[in-house]
Amino acid sequence: MSGGKGAKMAGGRGTRLFIVPMAMVAVLFVAIPLCYVLVISFMTRGDNSTVQAIFTAENYRRLLDPNYARVFLNSMLLALWTTLLALLLGYPFGYCMARANRRWRALLMLLVIVPFWTNALVRLYGWKILLQANGPVNTVLRALGLIDQPLRMLGSYGSVLLAMVYCLIPFMILPCHSAVDKMDWSCVEAARDLGAKPWYAFLTVTLPLTLPGISAGCVLVFVPSLGLFFVSDLMGGSLMLVGNLIRDQLLKSRDWPFGAALSMLLMAVTVLIFGLYRRSGGKDLGVF
Amino acid sequence: MKKRRKIFSPVYMTLLLIAMYLPIVMVVIYSFNAGRTIGAWQGFTTMWYDRLLQNALMGDALKNSLVLAAWSVALAGVIGTLGAIGMAKSHFRGKGALETLSTLPMMIPEIILGMAYLVIFSAVGIPLGMPTLVVTHMTFCVPYVYINVSSRLVGMDPSVEEAARDLGAGPWRVLLDITLPLVAPAVASGMLLALAMSLDDVIISFFVTGATTTTLPLKVYTGLRNGGTPEINALCTLLLGAVFVLVSLAQLWQARQRRRQARDREQANRNQPDRA
Amino acid sequence: MKKLLSVLLALSMLAALPLLSSAEEEKVLNIFSWDGYVDYASVIQPFEEQTGIKVNYAPFSTNDEMLKKLQENGASEYDLVIASDYILNTARLEGLMLPLDKEKLPNFANLDERFISQYFDPDNEYVVPYMSGIPLIVYNPDMVQIEIDGFEDLWDPSLVDSIGLIDDARVSIGMVLLSMGQSMNTTDDAVLAQAKEKLFALRENIHVLEYENLHNSLISGDISVAYTFTPYVALALDANPNLKVVWPKEGLGFGIDGAFIPANAPHPDNAHTFLNYLLDGQVAAVTAEWQLYCTPNAAAQEFLSDAYKNNPVFNGIYDRFGDAEYVMNLGADESKFQDIWTEFKLLF
Repeated sequence: MSGGKGAKMAGGRGTRLFIVPMAMVAVLFVAIPLCYVLVISFMTRGDNSTVQAIFTAENYRRLLDPNYARVFLNSMLLALWTTLLALLLGYPFGYCMARANRRWRALLMLLVIVPFWTNALVRLYGWKILLQANGPVNTVLRALGLIDQPLRMLGSYGSVLLAMVYCLIPFMILPCHSAVDKMDWSCVEAARDLGAKPWYAFLTVTLPLTLPGISAGCVLVFVPSLGLFFVSDLMGGSLMLVGNLIRDQLLKSRDWPFGAALSMLLMAVTVLIFGLYRRSGGKDLGVF
Repeated sequence: MKKRRKIFSPVYMTLLLIAMYLPIVMVVIYSFNAGRTIGAWQGFTTMWYDRLLQNALMGDALKNSLVLAAWSVALAGVIGTLGAIGMAKSHFRGKGALETLSTLPMMIPEIILGMAYLVIFSAVGIPLGMPTLVVTHMTFCVPYVYINVSSRLVGMDPSVEEAARDLGAGPWRVLLDITLPLVAPAVASGMLLALAMSLDDVIISFFVTGATTTTLPLKVYTGLRNGGTPEINALCTLLLGAVFVLVSLAQLWQARQRRRQARDREQANRNQPDRA
Repeated sequence: MKKLLSVLLALSMLAALPLLSSAEEEKVLNIFSWDGYVDYASVIQPFEEQTGIKVNYAPFSTNDEMLKKLQENGASEYDLVIASDYILNTARLEGLMLPLDKEKLPNFANLDERFISQYFDPDNEYVVPYMSGIPLIVYNPDMVQIEIDGFEDLWDPSLVDSIGLIDDARVSIGMVLLSMGQSMNTTDDAVLAQAKEKLFALRENIHVLEYENLHNSLISGDISVAYTFTPYVALALDANPNLKVVWPKEGLGFGIDGAFIPANAPHPDNAHTFLNYLLDGQVAAVTAEWQLYCTPNAAAQEFLSDAYKNNPVFNGIYDRFGDAEYVMNLGADESKFQDIWTEFKLLF
């Protein structure tokens, strides 16, 4: 924030107390469990999901297996595509919502979020019904004479992407809406008055001004999408994602130390991505 | 040009909303399916509603889920908002680390985090139940509020707050009268997202729940083993129905308020010349 | 440090104090199993009415999650757990089970001899068998040109992109091992390498790997062949009676789910009462018909409907006990199967 140093000092001490509860939560319920995970990632597996207190770096050496790198790549690609699609679909929605009549805005926000108060699994079953070979989408396409044979959409990469975007799109819409909503429209009007075409004004004025919302949305979509492996499983994607791998190591191989090492790696990769993003100027956007 | 936007905007929003609600329509339809599968329509029945309404376990789970969501989202809302405001206004060593740590629950695979909670709570001797559910849900809800509010605070004009401070307002006063109203929409959207997260969480909940605090998502997720439960479709239908009734009532009430305000204003305008 | 930690944790929970549940009543039973695996309407509710015992039902989604929780909380929260054979064995060996008091279980005698004295409880001290199942091949003859009678047929080139296989390393690699005449529990590296090669050769024929939904895909026509668990086979048949069920000639994977009382259960008497109730012939019959599994309860036979009794999915096992093999817990060697499965799934 701008402002003189004196002003900051004046408001500083009281405001700093605001951080205390969050810091307590971060230490008690994030740092401590994390330390535990870190410690067991350096231990040896025992039988049946137990851990033996024998130090080893073997779990991290195993991570070098190229198969695991491919699993990570799979997950990153899926998360990237999901974020991109969610942005392309969600930003215009957030924008239109912010430009809508004030009377409609609260209702629209509710309409966006209400589906997400019902169970994700149940909603995905709804998509399965829609997309299955004898489902409504195929029936309509056949009735229109567009296809002879039913399309087998379930299990395709596209159906997984669709479901991923569907699960996460409010996490893009709401921050984008918030950013457009607080934007100072006089800047856009000034640009238009100076003769800028609407698209040009959008790209040079609106977009940069709403970038904090976009980046918040991207973070809120990208990061959780790395963990939503059950979406792919449910849509029949048969994909091997990091989430599947970690779950299988923990609950099927019953190798908790290796599962912990995989989790540490996933976390490190995610933090690294945001470290880079921060270096490249993301810090000024207010997120991380 | 302007006309085109006027058409594009409602059409686009309607299309996307239809896409969002179509799967839910399917869930509603299949809650009347006589078969226990979703692969084919096997006739009409209201059996699932009968079973649902007499199922006391379902009622328990619904109650648990709502209590849990209310507590964890309220706590996360307060903690995340205060945190975001405090962070935006202060600079100290380790700020970046604290920021990363606070948002880390989004990045830790849920299953390992849940397991770590289980081990730690057991080691310290804390019984599993609603309190453990609430604190863990609160923890993973905080980042959603924090990120939303933080992004809203960026580029916000600090002069108003400074003016208030110069006039002698303390930090709480500034917070309540100036900052909070400014960030309210972001707090609201952050809490709405947090609510969605809490109402959907299965994995962390499993590890920290007790014998009597089963939540709805846990029931849905673990019920797949016997082919899924159409009762859950019925429950979702009823819940959505209830939400929509509430939303429409609120809308009607708001519309009436607006009309009344307009009438009052009109009346005041008419009265004014008399008084003058 | 530990003390400080506990104080801090306790403090931070003060806010949630009013939520703490009130002191436990005497007449309570805490069940721990998959959700719905004991039906509320037909089993639990009548029990509650008969005995005045309030039943709480905590669900888990996988056996290993259940084990982890019992290990951590000292098996002291739940009164009755229903889980699968291999995990029953593990739990017994880890001392997580309370010995049954047979005096309180007169209905134990109702069990079919062929389902008791299994490896997970050779002397019938701890476990009450609850349900039993066998993954089977089920296919749609309208969409499949060949006659399928065993696992080997799944490799037929005409089945390209049409099979749904269970997304589980042990079950599906086990299926490949059975097709090779090997044990599902082999840990021989040479055999597993062969199995891996054979599994990879099946890739072209597989449309989807799923655990819980293959019956839906089969009914809807997304796939034409599925290798899936007993209740899903039954559900698929219920929706489309034209489907054909195959008892693979090479061998069968077999499983029993059983109930046990955890070592430090808070209400062991109530648990015994409930177990004896579950073992009643009539209750067992109702349970089997709703859960769509084979029942190990001999006394249930007279109460079962003809539709159930004539369904080959449920009674085929009586002719094939000799061919059935359990999937067992292989300890650290489980990783061998998981690594193959990870590599296989990377082909998708």
